[in-house]
Amino acid sequence: MSLIQINNLIKEYKSGIEKVTAVNNISLEIKQGEFISLMGESGSGKSTLLTMLGGLNKPTKGKVIIDEIDIYNLSANSLADFRREYIGFVFQSFQLIPYLTVIENVQLPLATNGHSKKLQAELASSIINKVHLESKGKRLINELSGGEQQRVAIARALINDPLILLTDEPTGNLDSKTSEDIMNIFRELNRLGKNIIMVTHNSDFKKYSSRNIHLSDGKLIC
Amino acid sequence: MKLYNISLQSLRRRKSRTIFLIFGLLLAVASFVTLYVVSENVNKNVAENLDEFGANMLITPKSDGLNLSYGGVAITGVTIENSSLSYNDIAKIKSIKNKDNLRIIAPKLFNSIKVQYLDGIGEINVVAAGVNFKDEVRLKKWWRVIGNYPSQENEILMGSEASKLLEMKLNQKTSLNGEEFLVSGILEETGSQDDGLIFLDLKKSQELFNKKNELSLIEIAARCYDCPIEEIVRQTSSKLPGAKVTAIKQTIESKMTAIHRFEHFSLGISAVILVISLLIVFTNVNASVNERTKEIGIFMSVGFRRWHIIKIILLEVLIASFSAGVIGFFIGIAGAKIITPILSMDDSITINFSYSLLLLSAGMAVTAGLLASVLPALKAARLDPTVAFRSL
Repeated sequence: MSLIQINNLIKEYKSGIEKVTAVNNISLEIKQGEFISLMGESGSGKSTLLTMLGGLNKPTKGKVIIDEIDIYNLSANSLADFRREYIGFVFQSFQLIPYLTVIENVQLPLATNGHSKKLQAELASSIINKVHLESKGKRLINELSGGEQQRVAIARALINDPLILLTDEPTGNLDSKTSEDIMNIFRELNRLGKNIIMVTHNSDFKKYSSRNIHLSDGKLIC
Repeated sequence: MKLYNISLQSLRRRKSRTIFLIFGLLLAVASFVTLYVVSENVNKNVAENLDEFGANMLITPKSDGLNLSYGGVAITGVTIENSSLSYNDIAKIKSIKNKDNLRIIAPKLFNSIKVQYLDGIGEINVVAAGVNFKDEVRLKKWWRVIGNYPSQENEILMGSEASKLLEMKLNQKTSLNGEEFLVSGILEETGSQDDGLIFLDLKKSQELFNKKNELSLIEIAARCYDCPIEEIVRQTSSKLPGAKVTAIKQTIESKMTAIHRFEHFSLGISAVILVISLLIVFTNVNASVNERTKEIGIFMSVGFRRWHIIKIILLEVLIASFSAGVIGFFIGIAGAKIITPILSMDDSITINFSYSLLLLSAGMAVTAGLLASVLPALKAARLDPTVAFRSL
């Protein structure tokens, strides 16, 4: 049974007077439990496809159906709720809030769902332990190394226990040793049942994924 | 973690931005409070000084006859030998509801009097006014006297014209109705009816004219800044049914015009400052929203609704502007304490702490802050996720 179904997805931008087709008629099915690597050159449309999967970039044409929900048919509020419950994002530049501590950044997705302070603390503590940052909960983000920041970002992405983890070049700013550590975390998460779609340039990471998808000029090539 | 925690931490940990945001509104609130308190106190002070500068109410006996004009108001009972006003009426006047507004009560008794002049060679009839010199001098601040005001019962003060007519000199003795008096002072020319009068102690005049306890008129300087003079006139009339109580409208109008001009000036300056501070807050919050595109993208990616983003921004502004309102109030009061004595030239003025003004300041700052932030907050919430996300 497919978890994600992408039907004839097209995304067009205007760049000055020129029309750019970032994603060109892509159809794809992703099954439950898969770890997908989205690969391709810069400008091939992988990041655009990822944001469309995350409900943040409305396609010009086509549908994205996740867990039988046609996500771009949802209202703005329902789409926000969908993102909170179904999707966890991990970015290349970590994208943490600099004025919040590690624990506050991890708890950020819980700020709107009405959980008690105690439950939030328990959830955050458990996730922070999983990414081995238990001693750094009260630190501000700029006091952490790149690898630690990415682990905070992963913890934030996981706190709501989302169905899908979308990651865009998660190791792009990290050294090779730390990159391996982060990739091992993703592999472990996938082994525990998390669906992962990862945009990457690095062909060495093919070994972590269950399927590799290549894009070129907005088209699926294999 | 709640939304307000995000706002609080943003304010707490981005200190320079927070200080700048607070500073814009604080400046407006402090200026407003200073201007408001200074204008209120200076107005009161000016009003009180003006209220003492000449009478704004005149009480005369009710009569059909008009015998003497005094300050543009006709006085009865000067030539006829009776009066319907008495000294007891002063106690009645002091019992009105707005008695605290009565600043000076200056009773007078007028009577024609035979005065010897040219060392007893001639004798002439002159109008004499029995007054309480202490009250009269407070009421007529424009009086300038050569010599001294009478301090004894047998001393008199002569109007400038009367002294010329009778060829009276300072410290000269003369006889009024056969009794000897010393000219202790001569008034410089005032251009009023006072120039032609001889002033003597009220009690002495009552004895001299054989009009014990009687009065011809009572002049009153009432404080009309915080009470309409018409109301004081009405209350006084009800206490003195046999008297005619008149408000000297011209005096009141000119006093109130002077006071209101200063009030309008302060209000105008406050409005300008408020508009400038609104622009500062608007620019600040707008710039902050532009800077925070990335942050808004993060909020969107973790599933915040548009309203959540508006709430975070408005909460920040709410907390900052409330703080600006409270701090601005205290700075404004401190400023008023420094400026008010300088402007009013009166060190005795005390600036009182006002809870209602504190509430008004905080309310004004919060309203101004929120008004200036609504558009930037909406702009943040309407940010295209693609644009917000592209910056991630």
